[in-house]
Amino acid sequence: MAKTDILDVVARKLAPFMLLFGLYLVSYGDTSPGGGFQGGVVIASGVILLAMARGVSAAERLFPMHRLSAAETAAYGVFLAAGVVGLVLGVGFLGDFTRPGWTNSPLPAARFIFLLNLAIGIKVACGVSLICMYLFRED
Amino acid sequence: MRIVEIVAMVTVALFLALILGGSHPTETPLRGHVVENGVAETGAVNLVTAIYLGYRAFDTLGETVVLMLAVSGVIFFVEQRR
Repeated sequence: MAKTDILDVVARKLAPFMLLFGLYLVSYGDTSPGGGFQGGVVIASGVILLAMARGVSAAERLFPMHRLSAAETAAYGVFLAAGVVGLVLGVGFLGDFTRPGWTNSPLPAARFIFLLNLAIGIKVACGVSLICMYLFRED
Repeated sequence: MRIVEIVAMVTVALFLALILGGSHPTETPLRGHVVENGVAETGAVNLVTAIYLGYRAFDTLGETVVLMLAVSGVIFFVEQRR
């Protein structure tokens, strides 16, 4: 199937906004609908759009597979480390070791939840894009 | 074959009627606690997030393991076929 210029241009213009919207969903998961899983899938859909419209090798220049794999593992490590920090500080595994309710600041009030959302978002984004790039790759 | 389908449909309809027509306890102690104290205890305005990352973060840890297993399985089978 021949690729058209329209697909090429639209994919390249649209993908950054999809990545941005995914990051927005991840970072505002504690105040508005969204969160790590949903935002991560939106980020991954931006990567998948690039991989489908421009080819996996072009998407791999921006998001190399070994980096995605490493980022997924690192995000999982951050999640586990956040849990263990709570264990050390005496609030239990995955307990909230920051003080919630600090609302009068530009930072998110739920800092612990923001941290977990960020880790989950990175993990889901890398995982779903890895699955699709492995399936789309042809060689 | 057709009888099997009809039986399956009737079973599903009966199941749905029992589930949807049954009485739901709309006010449980747990729900009241989350609605009243969820924002103060976790800091998240979104109560869904307050539950799945505040009260049940361990559950979410298991969900991420499920995704990691899915990725590992896909990579295993794709690499095996190549």
